[in-house]
Amino acid sequence: MKLRSSGREAEKIEPQMAPMIDVVFQLLIFFMLTLNIVEPEGDFNINMPITNSAEPSDEPDIFPDIKVRLVANEDGTLNTIRLGQVNLGNGPNVFAGLNHEILKIIGKPGNPITKDMEVEIESDYNLHYEYTLKAVSACTGRLDSSGKHIIRYIEKIKFAPPVGGNSAGS
Amino acid sequence: MRIKSKKPAVADIDMTPMIDIVFQLIAFFMVITNFEQIQADERVKLPSDSLAKPPEVKAADELVLNIGFERNDKGEITDPEAYIFYNGEKIPVLQFGPKFEQEARIYKQKNQDPKEVPVILRTDALVKTGLVQDLIKIAQENGFTKFAFKATQKTQ
Repeated sequence: MKLRSSGREAEKIEPQMAPMIDVVFQLLIFFMLTLNIVEPEGDFNINMPITNSAEPSDEPDIFPDIKVRLVANEDGTLNTIRLGQVNLGNGPNVFAGLNHEILKIIGKPGNPITKDMEVEIESDYNLHYEYTLKAVSACTGRLDSSGKHIIRYIEKIKFAPPVGGNSAGS
Repeated sequence: MRIKSKKPAVADIDMTPMIDIVFQLIAFFMVITNFEQIQADERVKLPSDSLAKPPEVKAADELVLNIGFERNDKGEITDPEAYIFYNGEKIPVLQFGPKFEQEARIYKQKNQDPKEVPVILRTDALVKTGLVQDLIKIAQENGFTKFAFKATQKTQ
């Protein structure tokens, strides 16, 4: 048996680079093309048990629902927000105002009573969805100063049947 | 003056730095690519909100519905009626009942209660709220009770 003597002619082995680079470039191009930049998306949970939809809750709640009424203009933009009897008006800061009012009602964030409290959003039929979502967000909580964590106000959000019905629908 | 002409050496390019960089790029694109959002429809322009954080625990099964408008290349709405984009079909929102029924049946076959399956609504910012509520009502009639609204995370 002949053993290869390793020492003598240690010729430098040149690895074949070309195929590897081919494949690597293929991979690179594949990942570049499949890349689609999507903004991260988040959820707002809405609990709508079936029983609630038919009849307005009969059982006496310790805490009455916080009623948020969203009034729309003809074209579906926001006209006014009413919280209970308080008119919060319209404008760029109306959702911040709503957020502030909710905080006043619950006292402080994380208050145990917030577990039992519910926000009922009643909106015009033709109101654009983005305003409803902003209202949901304003009731849910706010970001802390660092902008990383959410300070929760009220978790339970529900919807009252839309105002205006199908007559406003297209 | 001496002219270098001895060995016309084969230009041996050093590949190492290039491969380093290329691998870096590949790793970058691999990490950043997400194949998850195949259920999202391009036509739906979600509203954005700063509180929209990706959920920490993801449900194993969820029913994602894209509600939006037909839009042209510029993103303008071409048809005022809102549709649900569902498996390549375009279904008017209020006629989605049979599909819910079908979905509920599929979940039941998989021994899942539709009650436990969250319905994720990816709704265009300009859809009428009442229409979304009508859709929720139709879903409830078919046994779905958990709902979630999607929004893009607003960058501050």
